[in-house]
Amino acid sequence: MIQENLPVLLVVTLLFTAYLLPIFTKRRPRIIELLVVTVECLILGGTLYLAGLIARQGRAPIIYPAGGWPAPWGIELSVGSLSILFLLMIAGVGLPVAIFATDGITWQLRSRQRVAWFFTLYLLLAAALAGLAVTNDLFNVYVFVEVATISCCALVAAKDDPLAIKAAFRYLLLATVGSGFIFAGIGLIYLVTGNLDMTFAFTELSQRAYTYPHVVRLAISFFVIGFGTKAALFPLHLWLPDAHSAALTPASAILSGLAVKGYIIALAKILYIIVGPALLQALSIDRILLLMGMVAIVAGSLLALAQDELKRRLAYSTVAQVGYIFLGLGLMNTTGLAGALFYAASHAIIKACLFLAAGAIISRTGKERVSQMAGVGREMPITMGIFTICSFALMGLPLLSGFIGKWNLLRGSIQAGSFLASLVIILGSLLCAGYLLPVIRTAYFVPAGTTTTKETSFLQISSMLILTVFVIVLGIAPGPLWNLAWQAARDLLGG
Amino acid sequence: MKVSLLSRLLANYPYVAAFILFAIGIYGVIASSNLLRKLLGISIMESAIFLMFIASGNITGRGVPIVDAAKESVGYVNPLPQALILTGIVVGVSTTAFALALLVKLHKYYGTLDARIIYDKREADKH
Repeated sequence: MIQENLPVLLVVTLLFTAYLLPIFTKRRPRIIELLVVTVECLILGGTLYLAGLIARQGRAPIIYPAGGWPAPWGIELSVGSLSILFLLMIAGVGLPVAIFATDGITWQLRSRQRVAWFFTLYLLLAAALAGLAVTNDLFNVYVFVEVATISCCALVAAKDDPLAIKAAFRYLLLATVGSGFIFAGIGLIYLVTGNLDMTFAFTELSQRAYTYPHVVRLAISFFVIGFGTKAALFPLHLWLPDAHSAALTPASAILSGLAVKGYIIALAKILYIIVGPALLQALSIDRILLLMGMVAIVAGSLLALAQDELKRRLAYSTVAQVGYIFLGLGLMNTTGLAGALFYAASHAIIKACLFLAAGAIISRTGKERVSQMAGVGREMPITMGIFTICSFALMGLPLLSGFIGKWNLLRGSIQAGSFLASLVIILGSLLCAGYLLPVIRTAYFVPAGTTTTKETSFLQISSMLILTVFVIVLGIAPGPLWNLAWQAARDLLGG
Repeated sequence: MKVSLLSRLLANYPYVAAFILFAIGIYGVIASSNLLRKLLGISIMESAIFLMFIASGNITGRGVPIVDAAKESVGYVNPLPQALILTGIVVGVSTTAFALALLVKLHKYYGTLDARIIYDKREADKH
């Protein structure tokens, strides 16, 4: 029974546990933390099992009709390679970040009771993202996007200070406008096709799109604006730096690493499954995505260079890295798209780890600015070492996971014949070195008088080490994950 | 050509109204510096989408969607959009409630809901 219903159980388990946690507000926080870690492990195990199941049946997606009603009448879940890739990201990043959070979160939240509520939001976000990964229904996408949005904003607001509340409200405002656009887009698609199931909507749309080209174009632009706002695509990124830098450390890590990717995966599903590659090219949506991606890479990197606060610099760097993924979505070939998906996974791990390391440095030494970093290399050798490895991975140095994604994006852009895109990919890497190397240089090579060791706790170090091991293993042996990304890209592009 | 466009707009008046409401909502979010009014703008925008969805379910001359052999020949209106919008309204309410809670906190910290004054105060805090 568990095996048959596993696709829906992944989401339900997360949701159920999320609402179970507030019961334990009066108990010791340790119980809550154990529960969260256990659930994340369960999700990881379930996802790996599903991955094996899909690999055994020739990589065809598992279709799960909710409540036994088949589509188009009922709601359908579809677990393919893309869903597995994203579920692995959710569990693989969510687990270490949860372990990191177990240490010191009570102190950071200033009250024991709020720990339960923090982890409720944490699991709600994971549940919504898992829902986005497995659903095959447009209206489900809207509901999960809303759940994700509210839990993201609440995670930012969990750090109860004026800065965080202001950032959270700004985030909520822009994200809700984004939801409005997404909802309107879904409405337009429903008006044209009469279906909310993605597979059926595609069949209808491919017949009717040429009768109503303007409506379809309007719907697609609504989706790009809506998801673009939520995923912080460059001119719509205004909320991100405040929100991601003001939040608590584990929240920043999960928001920058995972939440942003969830919206991109949802957009990719809508664009490729409903609209389809042929229609995307006919309406030249691919060129727009490519262009916006390139602008985001350059602008995000330049803005990151201008920041002195470490967390803000990392937040702007996310804006630039999101550009890479959008660029890959616009390349319209398997190599480029697979590269973008692999890059999304790799960035999720790297950026989560960078935020955790930055948070640990800030909370132990109180040094928030890059210019104050002198001596951190000696004060916190392990944390700074992890920060250095992840920085190199983000720049795209070989033998680390960032390289595989960037290299295939580069190959894809050459295949697509876009010389400018190749140039921007390389320029983005150089700019990335430009804003991350000064941090490392100041931390190690600027003399800073006498220093004492202030290394962070064992739990926090081990959680960051898990992420770093992922980064190195994926760089040396990308095989399994790359195959998954490749298969997902082939599914999306249709063969 | 002009007449046919006008008559088509008139025939589809719920969608025209939805579009106008959507535009008003967006204008409210952008134009006002008062955060509460921005929130109102978002609510108006959401109502516009609800209207669009609901209007799509209405088919003139069709009956209530309750299966009844005698009415089979008349056909039914589409009940799905209404069911969806019920969910949509719930989502909208929860977003608004959460935003209002944040506004209460903001007012506690800054003593105002004007975005410009809050921005100035924050800049002043930095220096």
